[in-house]
Amino acid sequence: MATGTNTDEDRPDVEQAREVLWRRRWLRRSLYGALLLSVVGLTYFVFLEFLGFSFAQLTSERATTEMQKFIGGLFPPNFEDMTTYTKENEITGIDALVVSLTSWELGLLWGVIPGIWPTHIMDTLATANAGNGNVMVSAAYTTVAAGFAGTVLGFPLALVFGVLGSERVVPFPLNFLFRGTMSTIRAIPAIVWTLIYIPIFGITPATGVLAITTDTVGNLGRLFTDELEEIEDGPIEAVRSTGAGRVQVVVFGMLSQVTNSFVAWTLYILEINTRIAITLGVLGVGGLGMYIENQIGLLDTGYQNAMAGIFMVIFIVLTIELISSRIRARLRPGETESSTLLGALFGLFDPNKWLGRL
Amino acid sequence: MSTITISSVEKVYGEDTVALDDVSLTIDDGEFVILLGPSGAGKSTLLRLLNGLERPTEGTIEIGDETVSDTRPDVAMVFQMHNLVESASAYRNALTGALNRTSTVPSLATWYGEEAERMALEALDTVGLLSEADQRADSMSGGQQQRVGIARALTQDPTLLLADEPVASLDPKASEDVMGYLRTAADERDLTTVTSLHQVNVAREFGERFVGLRDGEVVFDGSAEDLTMEAVEEIYYDTEAETAESMPDPASNDRARSVATPEEGP
Repeated sequence: MATGTNTDEDRPDVEQAREVLWRRRWLRRSLYGALLLSVVGLTYFVFLEFLGFSFAQLTSERATTEMQKFIGGLFPPNFEDMTTYTKENEITGIDALVVSLTSWELGLLWGVIPGIWPTHIMDTLATANAGNGNVMVSAAYTTVAAGFAGTVLGFPLALVFGVLGSERVVPFPLNFLFRGTMSTIRAIPAIVWTLIYIPIFGITPATGVLAITTDTVGNLGRLFTDELEEIEDGPIEAVRSTGAGRVQVVVFGMLSQVTNSFVAWTLYILEINTRIAITLGVLGVGGLGMYIENQIGLLDTGYQNAMAGIFMVIFIVLTIELISSRIRARLRPGETESSTLLGALFGLFDPNKWLGRL
Repeated sequence: MSTITISSVEKVYGEDTVALDDVSLTIDDGEFVILLGPSGAGKSTLLRLLNGLERPTEGTIEIGDETVSDTRPDVAMVFQMHNLVESASAYRNALTGALNRTSTVPSLATWYGEEAERMALEALDTVGLLSEADQRADSMSGGQQQRVGIARALTQDPTLLLADEPVASLDPKASEDVMGYLRTAADERDLTTVTSLHQVNVAREFGERFVGLRDGEVVFDGSAEDLTMEAVEEIYYDTEAETAESMPDPASNDRARSVATPEEGP
């Protein structure tokens, strides 16, 4: 090392700088340490105390045995209500699931999409009634449909509010009109929106759709606005330099930069909306949430059915998440040569691409 | 048709940042002009004024008989950082050059019309990217992206082509390519071209007329033969006023060495 012969005395400035930096770092660390300690202290001694949360009770023998009893009551899950067929023929337990999934035939799903589908699921869907939450497949259909429809209905409004809420499009004080509306919508949870909308549609899945739509405007719109704040000036200027009009600059300079991220965020909100649709079911507006709530309400007899419902929820949510995250991953720049929505959709049918970049 | 007359133009940013100070130039139809000068000399400002992206504080710029007061279809610009829409294809990017000729509603449906589509493809052909037309911009190399930038400018069907440091972010080989395509496009279509450049050696290879700017003033205006080593030094270093403050080591050999790359790209 060329400077190996230099001692501390040779480099007083370096030593001094080192000391200053060391002192600053130490100060920073102590501050963060104090902050962490106060957060933990506040939580443990004030909030948990106030809320009556005790770790002793959590780990007490009574709690453990009660919980074991409850969980024991959930198993084995009873898929009796899986399809109308299993329900009518009183096929119970795991058998019902097996029966529902093993008989396939050529037909139309929802009476529309041709293909080879599981017979009983297809039949159940054909006669599904959104208001009747007693059959799981039809309840799951209600949930997925409500989440999907709410996202689709919310999207155009979210787009309008999101774009107009951006300072890049609408000048400063005016854009807050739209931002403020979105913030207000977000402040109210979807479950409360459902209660607000009951006078319109009653306690029905339609109310759920309306609540999800509203929630989507607030959340998706906000994501759109944030995304627009981060776009680059270059393409905007380039489009402006061609002599393009104001609307053309917004669409081609700004929105064209964010199309893929808008699609990605919309898919993310679709995932969240599916979960919200399940939650809203607990209020009685239909779907898997309502099924689980009803079954738990039946106490012991319903626990195993409720567990089947929970499995159904996991399956539905994970499937939507898998599809959505695969599409989103393929929209990311650079991952594939054709990172467009269409390319991503076709890619879904190629199992080689499911694990990402292969 | 598009002789450019720049008369006593001054541009001041904010209170007192003088970017251009009494610049007067006449550029004839079909000329290929290269602007040289250190960072902050006013090259970009001059180009932006020519493009109508900004207005002069004092003085006027006329293209033909018209005073430049806004961006206009017949003046096209190639940007240093390409400024492409990254997620769109080369073709879609080139087509945005036709926006000014397309009315708003059809353009929103990306319906530019046959003529514009043909022009965009011709422009891509001019820069040698016809077979890459459907490729996403962000999957292309820097040089290719800049060629798409040129194609977009050509799709605009301009009479005046401006380029702001078009090769500053490219390696030497790609720089030569891009400048070559720019020059070919200008010659083929008989365009008046004004481009700023960092690399003096590249400038010598492609330019006809050179204008040197320093501190917002024109300090050189001449042909390739006039652009001697001394002239370059004159443009990049204020030989009289230069002090130790801005040049920590004013040893003459150091200075000569750095002339080849007087500025760094971003």
